[in-house]
Amino acid sequence: MLPEIGHFALILALMATVLQVVLPSVGLWRGNFALTQLSKPLLWMQFFWILVSFALLMNAFLVDDFSVKYVASNSNTQLPDLFKMSAVWGAHEGSLLLWTLILSVWCVAVSIFSKRLPSEVLNHILIILGLISVGFLLFLLLTSNPFERLDIIPTQGRELNPLLQDFGLIIHPPMLYMGYVGMAIPFAFVLSSLIRGQLDSTWLRWSRPWTLMAWAFLTFGITLGSWWAYYELGWGGWWFWDPVENASFMPWLVATALVHSLSVSEKRGAFKHWTVLLAISGFSLSLLGTFLVRSGILTSVHSFAADPERGLFILVFLVIVVGGSLGLYAWRAHLMRSNNSFEPLSRESGLLINNILLVAAMLSVFLGTLYPLLLDSLGLGKISVGAPYFDAVFIPIMVPAVLAMALGGFLRWKKDKLDRVVDVTIHTVFVAATITLITYFAIDNVYVVLATFLSSWIVLHSLLLLAQRLRQKGNLGTAFLGMVMAHIGIAVFLFGATITTQYGIEKDIKMSLNESVEIEGYTFTFRGVSTLKGANYTGNKGMIDVAYQGEKIATLKPEKRQYVTGMPMTEAAIDPSLSRDLYVALGESLGAGAWSLRLYYKPLIRWIWLGGLLIMLGALLAAFDRRYRLKARRKS
Amino acid sequence: MNLYGWFAMMLVISAVWLIWFLYRPLKGNILDLEKSNIALGKQKQAELEQDLQRDLIDESVFEQAKDEIAQVLAIEMTQTVTTVETQKPIAIWLSAMIVVFFSGASFFVYQALISQSITAQNAITAQTLQAQEPPTLAQSIVNIKKHLEENFDDEKAWRTLGLALFDANDLTQSLEAYERSYQLNPKDVTMLVEYASTLAKSQKNQFKGRVSTLVREALEINPDSPDALYLAGWVAINAQQLALAQMLWEKALSLLPENQADRASLQRMLDELAQIQNSNKVESQHQVVIKVVLPERLRQAEFKEHYLMVYIKAARGRPMPIAIQKIKLKDFTGTVTLTDENSVMPTRKLSQSSKVLAVVLLSQSGSAMRQADDIEALSQVIDVKDNPTVELKL
Repeated sequence: MLPEIGHFALILALMATVLQVVLPSVGLWRGNFALTQLSKPLLWMQFFWILVSFALLMNAFLVDDFSVKYVASNSNTQLPDLFKMSAVWGAHEGSLLLWTLILSVWCVAVSIFSKRLPSEVLNHILIILGLISVGFLLFLLLTSNPFERLDIIPTQGRELNPLLQDFGLIIHPPMLYMGYVGMAIPFAFVLSSLIRGQLDSTWLRWSRPWTLMAWAFLTFGITLGSWWAYYELGWGGWWFWDPVENASFMPWLVATALVHSLSVSEKRGAFKHWTVLLAISGFSLSLLGTFLVRSGILTSVHSFAADPERGLFILVFLVIVVGGSLGLYAWRAHLMRSNNSFEPLSRESGLLINNILLVAAMLSVFLGTLYPLLLDSLGLGKISVGAPYFDAVFIPIMVPAVLAMALGGFLRWKKDKLDRVVDVTIHTVFVAATITLITYFAIDNVYVVLATFLSSWIVLHSLLLLAQRLRQKGNLGTAFLGMVMAHIGIAVFLFGATITTQYGIEKDIKMSLNESVEIEGYTFTFRGVSTLKGANYTGNKGMIDVAYQGEKIATLKPEKRQYVTGMPMTEAAIDPSLSRDLYVALGESLGAGAWSLRLYYKPLIRWIWLGGLLIMLGALLAAFDRRYRLKARRKS
Repeated sequence: MNLYGWFAMMLVISAVWLIWFLYRPLKGNILDLEKSNIALGKQKQAELEQDLQRDLIDESVFEQAKDEIAQVLAIEMTQTVTTVETQKPIAIWLSAMIVVFFSGASFFVYQALISQSITAQNAITAQTLQAQEPPTLAQSIVNIKKHLEENFDDEKAWRTLGLALFDANDLTQSLEAYERSYQLNPKDVTMLVEYASTLAKSQKNQFKGRVSTLVREALEINPDSPDALYLAGWVAINAQQLALAQMLWEKALSLLPENQADRASLQRMLDELAQIQNSNKVESQHQVVIKVVLPERLRQAEFKEHYLMVYIKAARGRPMPIAIQKIKLKDFTGTVTLTDENSVMPTRKLSQSSKVLAVVLLSQSGSAMRQADDIEALSQVIDVKDNPTVELKL
C-alpha cells in the first residue's frame, strides 16, 4: 500500500505545482493579491509531497519491497542498509525523483531567502520554477514511475551495480544534481525578467549569489566524481573525457562564464546579452547532461529508440525549454541595449575574452561528445573521440583563458593603460618567468614547464592582488577573497593535473609471494592473498607491504570482489598523501601463488581535488558576500 | 485504514493547507521593483566610489561611469510597470472550485495512470489486497505473454514466464519458456538455476543429465552462487556422493547472509545428511588391518625414500586395487588400516567386497605397476566382512 501512497503523493505534488503556476499567474493578470501570494504555500506543499514520495521509495528499499519493480531491479536483501538508501538514486526513475526533490529544495530556498526581492518579481520566478517542476513531475509520472509494481513478485531482487556501492557514489549524485538543478535558478530569474520586459539591476544583483551557489555545487559534484572514479574504477585515472563526465563539464564551463558575465552586468550594466544567453544555455546544458546520462543515450543510441515514449518526452521538453527561452530572448532583445562603453584594454574586455574562450571550450567539448552520437544515430558509422582530440582542442583554448584570468583583476573598469598594467605586474611576471626558466633547465618536459609557468603566474598575481587590497586597508569583502581562492584553486588543480599526468608511473606486473618491486624509491613487497567475505560478495584480498628507504610505511590491501550476482569488482588500495599517492589494484591469480598487480605512483594527484575544493569554497565565499546581505540588514 | 482512506486524508491535508492560505494570504515583500532598483542604483554608485578608492577605475572615466548608472536607473524606471493589486478576499465559490479541482484532478490523474499500464493494474491489486482477491496467476501469465508478443527477444520476460508457468504447474510450457530464455542469454545464473529446478521436477526429481549440465554451467559463471551450489548438492546426492553434497551445501550455507530465511532449511538438510552418513558408517563400513613386518636390512637409511604400498585386491577377477595406502617408508609406523575412505572407486567400496587378498609392495619408484626390483608379499584369501587383521612379512 505504501508505494501507492508514494505514487499518489507525486500526483498531489504535480497538482500543487500546476496550481502554483496557474493561480499566481491569474492573480498577476487580474491584480488579485490573495491569488498571487499563493505561490509560496503551494510550492511548500509541492515540496512536502515530493519529500513524502521520496521517503516512501526509500522505505521500499529498506524493507526489501520487491513488488516495486524499481526496488527489485536495483536492490536485494543482502545489500547493506546504507547502499539500499543510496540505491534510491542508483538508476533512472529514482534519480529523476531525486532531481525533482532537489529542484523543490532550491525553490523553497529561493522562496525563503529572497525576502528582499519585490513580491511581483519573486512570484514570476516561482511560476517559472513551477513550470520546470511540472515538466519533471509529468516526466516522472508518465514515463518513469518509480513506484511501478511487478506482476510476479520475486523473492530476491537484483544487485545494485557494485560500482555504486561506495560512499563516494552516495554523495556524488546529490551534489552534482544540486549543481545541475541550481542552474534552474538563474534561468528562472532571466526568464521572469524577459517575460516582464524588465531586464533591470534587481534580477542581476539577486541572481548572482544563487548562480555562485549552483556553480559551487557543480564544482563539488564534478570533483567528487573525479575522486570516486580514481579510487573505485581501479584504473588510477581521474578524468577520462568520458561523455558522462563531459555532460557535467559543459554546464560547468558555461556557469563559470555566467558567474563572470554577471559581475560585469551587475556592476556596469554591460554584457546583458551574454548573461541572458549564458543563463539559458547553462540550464539547457544541465538538462541535456541529466537526460543524456540517465536516458542511456550515451551508452548506446539505440537505448533511446528502445523507449520511444521516454525519448519523445525528453525531446519535447528540451525543445520547449530551449526553444521557448530563446524565443523570449529574441522577443525582448531590444530591451538589452546598453550605452555603457569600454575600451579594448579594460576589465570588461578581459571578461569578454574570458566568456568567449570558455564558450569556445564548451563548444569543443560539446562537439567531441555529441558528434559521434549524431553520426551513429544517422547510420554514418561509429567514430571514437577520446583524450587525443580533447587534449589537442581544449587545452590550447584554455591556456590564454588562464593567462587572462590572472591579469583580469589588475585591469580597471572601462579603460586602462598598458603602461600602468605593466608597471603593476612587471615584478610578478619577472618572478613567474624566473621560476619557469629554472624549471626549464631542471626538467626536460615542456608540459611541466608550461604548467609551472601558468600556475606560478596565477598564484603570484592572486597574491599580489591580495597584497594591494590589504595595503588599501579597506574591507576585503568575501567576494574578493572568494575570487582569489577560486583562482588559486585553478592553479593548484593545473599543477597537480600536469605533474601527475607527466610523472605518474604505472606498472602491470606479475608478483609471486614475497617478491618485491621498486618504484620511485618505494619498495612494494607482495605478501600473498587471503579470501574475503562481505555482506553480498566474496573475493580475495591482497597484502602488499610498502617500504621507503628500508622502512615500512604502509600495508596496502587491494580487493578483488565477486558479487552474488556474479559481477566482479576491483577495490584499489591507496596510501594517500599530499605529495604522492601509492595505488595498488589486484588483478588475476596466475597460479602457483602468483598474481597480476597494477601498481601506480601518482605524484601530487591530491592537488587536483584540492584545487576543486578551493574553487568550490571560493564560490561559496563569494555567494555570501555582504553586498548580498547589506540590503536585508538595512531594510530590517 | 484502507488505501482510499489514506488518499482521502492526504487530500484533506492539502485542502486545509490551501484554504488556510487563500483566506490568510502571506504578506508581500516590503519592496516594490522601483524602490529596489533605486536602492541598487545607489548601492552601485557607492561601490563605484569604492572602486575609485581601490584604483579599480580611472578618475577620468569615473564620472562617466556614474552617469551610466544613473542612465541605467532611468531606463529601468521607464520599463517598470507597477501592478495594482487588490486585497479583496477570494469568493467562496472560487475557493471551493480550487479545492474541488485539486482533489478531483488528483484522483482523476491517479485513476488514468493506473489504468494505463499492466503494472499499474497491479497497483490497484496491491491496494485491494487486504479486502479483495489478488490477481490470478493465469492473469499474470496472459499479461507476460502479451508483453512477449511485442518483445519477443526479452529474455527476462521469458524467464519470468517460465517461473509463472512453473507456479501454475504447467511444466512443459515452463520448460519451453526457459529454453527460449536460455537461447537468448545462456549466462544468466538465476535463469540457469530456475531452468534446472524445473527440469528436475519434470524428471520426477532426478538431478541428472541436462539438469547436471545446467547446474555446472551456472557454477562456471558464478562458483559462489548459493542457489547453484544447492542444486549441485542434489546432483551429488543423485550420484550417491554424499560427502560432495555435504561440501557443496556447507559452502552454500556459508554464502547465505545471516538473515536469509533459507539458511534454516539448508542447515536442517545438512543435519539430516550427516545422520545418514553416520548411520551408513555404523551399519556397513568394514576395515582390514594389515601389520607389516620389515626385515632389518629394509630399515636402513637407503630405503627411507622407498614407497610402501599396502592394498586390497579381489581374490578373483580384476587385479586393480580396491583400497590402497601409499606411504614412504620413513613415515611408516608398522600397521595400516584400510577402510572405505581408502577405496579407489566410489562405486566399489571396500565394504562392498568379500573375498580379497591383502598385498604389501615395496617400490623405489612409487609406480603402481610392479617393477623388477620391487618386493611383494601377499596374504591368504580373507573376508572383509570379518574385519580381519593380517600380518605380512617382506
